[in-house]
Amino acid sequence: MKYVTGDLKRDAEALKKLLPAEDILTFSFTSEKGLSFLCVYADPITDKELLGEQLIRPLLHYEGGKSAKDISKSVTSPELRLNREFKKLSEEVLAGNPVLLWEGMDEAVIVGTKKVFVRAIAEPSTDVAVKGPREGFIEDVKINTSLVRRRLKTGELKIETLEVGRRSKTVVALCYLEGTSVQDTVDEVRKKLQEIDIDIVPDSSYLTHFLSSRPYSLVKQVGTTEKPDIFCAKIAEGRVGLIVDGSPIALTLPYLLIEDFQSSEDYFVPPYRATFTRILRFLSLFVAIYLPAFYVSAQLFKLRLFPVKLLLTIAGSIRDIPFSPSLEMLLVLFVLEVLNEASIRMPKYVGMALSVVGALVLGETAVSAGFVSTPAIIIIAFSGIGLYAVPNLIEQTSVLRLVMLLIAGSVGTYGLILATAFILLYLVTTENYGAPLVAPFSPLIGRDLRDSVVKYNLGSLKLRPETLGSPNKRRLK
Amino acid sequence: MNKISPRQLYFFLACVMPVGKLVILPSLLAQYAKNDLLFPMLISYLIQAGVVFAVLLAMRKGESLYALLSNTFGKVASIVILVILSIFYLYAGLLPLLEQRLFVQSVFYDTLPSLAAFAPFFVFSIYLCAKPLGSQGRVWDILGPLSVAGLAGVLILSVASTDPGALLPVGGGGFKGALKAFTVATGWFFDGAILLMLLGRVDYKKGTAWKGTLFYLAGGLGVLAFLAVFYAVFQDMAAGQYFAIAKTSKYFSGITVLGRIDYVFIYMLSLVMAFWCTVPLQAGIDCYLQPFGRHRHLATILSVAVNAVFLVLLYLLDNRFGEVMRFITGPSFWIFPAFCILLPPFSLLLRRNHERT
Amino acid sequence: MNARRFIKTIPMKLYLILLGVILFAFFSNDFGLVDVQKTAIILAAGIDKTEDGYTLSSQIAVPKGSDRTTGGTSSVEIETEGKTVSDCITMLYTKTGWVPKLIFCNLLLLGEETAKDDVFGGLNYFLRNEYMSDSCFLAVCEGKAGEVLSSQSAIDDASSLAITKLFSDAAKKSGKVMPNTLKEFSVSYFGVSKSGYLPYVRMSDQEGAQEAGGNESSGGSGGQSKPQKIYTASETAIFYEGKMTGLLPPEETLAFALLKGEVFAGTFNATDKNKPVTLTVLEDDGSVSLEAKTSPKVKLSLSLTVRLCCRGVSAPIDDVSTDEVSEEVLRSAEQTLQGYMRKLWDDCAQAECDLFGLRRDLYRSSLKRYSELKDVVPNGVEAEIETRVQTKS
Repeated sequence: MKYVTGDLKRDAEALKKLLPAEDILTFSFTSEKGLSFLCVYADPITDKELLGEQLIRPLLHYEGGKSAKDISKSVTSPELRLNREFKKLSEEVLAGNPVLLWEGMDEAVIVGTKKVFVRAIAEPSTDVAVKGPREGFIEDVKINTSLVRRRLKTGELKIETLEVGRRSKTVVALCYLEGTSVQDTVDEVRKKLQEIDIDIVPDSSYLTHFLSSRPYSLVKQVGTTEKPDIFCAKIAEGRVGLIVDGSPIALTLPYLLIEDFQSSEDYFVPPYRATFTRILRFLSLFVAIYLPAFYVSAQLFKLRLFPVKLLLTIAGSIRDIPFSPSLEMLLVLFVLEVLNEASIRMPKYVGMALSVVGALVLGETAVSAGFVSTPAIIIIAFSGIGLYAVPNLIEQTSVLRLVMLLIAGSVGTYGLILATAFILLYLVTTENYGAPLVAPFSPLIGRDLRDSVVKYNLGSLKLRPETLGSPNKRRLK
Repeated sequence: MNKISPRQLYFFLACVMPVGKLVILPSLLAQYAKNDLLFPMLISYLIQAGVVFAVLLAMRKGESLYALLSNTFGKVASIVILVILSIFYLYAGLLPLLEQRLFVQSVFYDTLPSLAAFAPFFVFSIYLCAKPLGSQGRVWDILGPLSVAGLAGVLILSVASTDPGALLPVGGGGFKGALKAFTVATGWFFDGAILLMLLGRVDYKKGTAWKGTLFYLAGGLGVLAFLAVFYAVFQDMAAGQYFAIAKTSKYFSGITVLGRIDYVFIYMLSLVMAFWCTVPLQAGIDCYLQPFGRHRHLATILSVAVNAVFLVLLYLLDNRFGEVMRFITGPSFWIFPAFCILLPPFSLLLRRNHERT
Repeated sequence: MNARRFIKTIPMKLYLILLGVILFAFFSNDFGLVDVQKTAIILAAGIDKTEDGYTLSSQIAVPKGSDRTTGGTSSVEIETEGKTVSDCITMLYTKTGWVPKLIFCNLLLLGEETAKDDVFGGLNYFLRNEYMSDSCFLAVCEGKAGEVLSSQSAIDDASSLAITKLFSDAAKKSGKVMPNTLKEFSVSYFGVSKSGYLPYVRMSDQEGAQEAGGNESSGGSGGQSKPQKIYTASETAIFYEGKMTGLLPPEETLAFALLKGEVFAGTFNATDKNKPVTLTVLEDDGSVSLEAKTSPKVKLSLSLTVRLCCRGVSAPIDDVSTDEVSEEVLRSAEQTLQGYMRKLWDDCAQAECDLFGLRRDLYRSSLKRYSELKDVVPNGVEAEIETRVQTKS
């Protein structure tokens, strides 16, 4: 049976067959005039108070006809839809929207009384700003889109909703500014989303795989943000945004590597300060990736990189260490990664104890016992801190650091130069949705350099980034 | 992405091409021309600038070398010409590679490493050579500023140790010495020939030819500045200072406290050199790919084969740089002028497709 | 289909193979590498000529352990012999098992006998070695270099560190020492002047100092006790064609430094009514030029601005509170300096040492005049000395 028949008993059986779960409940009631109703709903995700208030209470006193149109007029819920297909009705029930059937009518009313469990809007822990907005996305797509809409009060803002995931039916909101975003990019993103054939989409990160031009690459190719202000700013530059239900992390496309070196705060502080912090971020990342590697390769292959006094200090420190410099560094890096991983996953009350264990027991004792040397710990500690200067790239940079260390320990500094050349070549040949990943450095776009390592003041950023190819070039008149 | 913009071409001409001339060539020039080492370099640059201008003009035709050759001479003859050209590119690529190997040995290691330490270069080279030459355009956008920063850094750190008077008197090295130095330098001047493989790949705009030539000369000016500093630092000892680019800045006073910070700049230039060394190899491979089409697998196979041959050659010719250099600049001296000075300007005479019809 | 799948997975397989190779190289830890633990960090080397070769004394830094409760640098001196310096270095490796690294060598000390022969026989190795820093200090010492290097310094852990302290920039500005580096010395040797100079190090006992322990190791303990030494380098050895042909006493060293215009805050003595007066150099403008228009003549010109530093006798307070220098003192200073410069020129001419690079200047200015005069300079050239000492008004 595919459609509602109007025989309440048969219809209830048919729906129950499609929805055999125990938490799918039915509620029957009769109006004062004797009309029988059946309401089917998913118990945990339906707002029963609202259901009673907006649906059941008005219908108990219902005196009108049997037609769906008449009944719809009596129901006070603002979100009402009619449908007669059981499959669709069952999907709505599972989405938290109760279905109302009544005797003698081959159509059902879907009532939007979904119960939404949401946490309060808070500042995202991964993107803390001292100055500027502190709101962050949460897991609800509707609230997230409302945060965007609140910032972009224009009819040009288009929010298209798509469903991705055969089972999860995850709602994905495709956001863009009509006339500002490149239409080809919008179409390509929409097409790629429609082509995704996956079981469930628990988080936006699942989509990045399908949206990247090089899905197996270590290099990040989709922009991510937890902050609606950044999201809106990126859309306003001509990018396309994706908000995925159930995920506080929104996606933006096309992605440029420079984005992760730009913090939202850069735009709220004087430009010279922003420039300084950006240079700092670049240097930190460079140091984080290369410092352990250079330290090892200098010890193994090119002592002259050290000044003589430093060399003697290092030589003194490692004299009694049983491992080679490369193995020693690998060991310390391993310990750091384990500590890092454990401190993220561990319950907070254990965190303090872990810090003590990490800092004192492993650090101090390992040095005293002669397992590792003090310079190695200093180097790794510095590298570890440097990595967090660009938090959005940690997944990539921590792997790169390890790769560089392995290369340094095997072939030395020349290996590092070649690895850098390889990475450089890879980065400059990566493109996503027509935008080169390392623009505006390659291809060199002079105008876009004003908001790269250097941050010009707002008055100088009159045009949108050329890299993104927005048809609406001017943003400041 | 495979089209090279004029800006990228300028970076290549002004910043990437000169780096190959900063390693062993300065000491060789000093050996023969003594304090007159600037003149053979200047003459070589001026001659080569003419060749570069001619090839850049030929780029206006917008067609690849193979297309132009086959329009003019037919397919079979053009394939033969490209095969000969390919052999030349690979021959020209040998000296920079041998030089690079010695440079790496000296600059990156404190003790003589085994040849295996240089082998990773070929892994990189295989990856790069499998890509079309045009794909390097975007890399040049990065390498250009990097090369300028590297050279400027080295020059700034070196300048305090110079005695500019060492370049005097003009003619101190004698005409014969300068002439010998000029013949030696020809082994490093295959720039115009390399540009032949960029025919049809550059997004030619009005004025690209003369601007490109000016950029090429600007790069030459950088090389001359370095040569002047090099000789002013080492004076009569300059002839023995191989790997010049890594030597001049070591007297910077901050090194005692900070260690070899000049290596930051030297490493920048080494990165550029790693790309430069693969250019002749890539050009050699491209000669085969142009007539037969750029199939990914064919490019990979050729890249692996060529690099394997060079790895073996490097193994066989290990520590024989002097002999190779003497062979290239001695009995077979004519090869470089023939391919790098006489041949490239003929590209101007090649016919475009519509000219035939 | 399978073939296509195989080709598609080739890159991943290649990456895995590459990773395997890197891991193997990483853990096998051998690309002919010599890490810091297998290295002898040579801080200084002394070269002494023997009848059939050379003796090389290497001062090797011995890193202190992780328990760095005391500062300083420990070192050990190893002596090796061979027909060439290269042989000595190889012998060092054989003797100690450490791979000698010269890149940190900051001092090359030549024994007196070595210096009187062509020093470039001993220095050849260091000039050719790609892994040697030619910016190291070069000096000649009284007696054997090995003895000086293995002596116990009264002021530093290692003798080489104490000696290199003598060559600091501050010491150079005082005009009391004229340090030189291997590179600078070689440049002047290989140039048309074929001349050069090196500081001459003397070693003397430190009176009243405690005797330090140590046999071979200057940082170690036990064994026979050694007298503590102090070092001076106020004399300058001058060279022609690589051989030491003369020795400039301290006053000529000062004159040399003054003529090079490198002195600032250095002092020298004059007389005031037959009493000694010390003057401080505030401005030093010295030059040496060859006038070759008619008959060749060298002009040593010195213009100094000085101030009173100290009188050798007690003086009233109004004198102590002023820096003014009387005309008499200035004239006396000029006379003193003229004497130093005259002697300096005569000594150089006698030693055939073109200390001021006059031949080089001539070569650079005119090839023709150079070929005419190259054999006349310096010993066949008259010197005209011009000195002007003034005080700050």
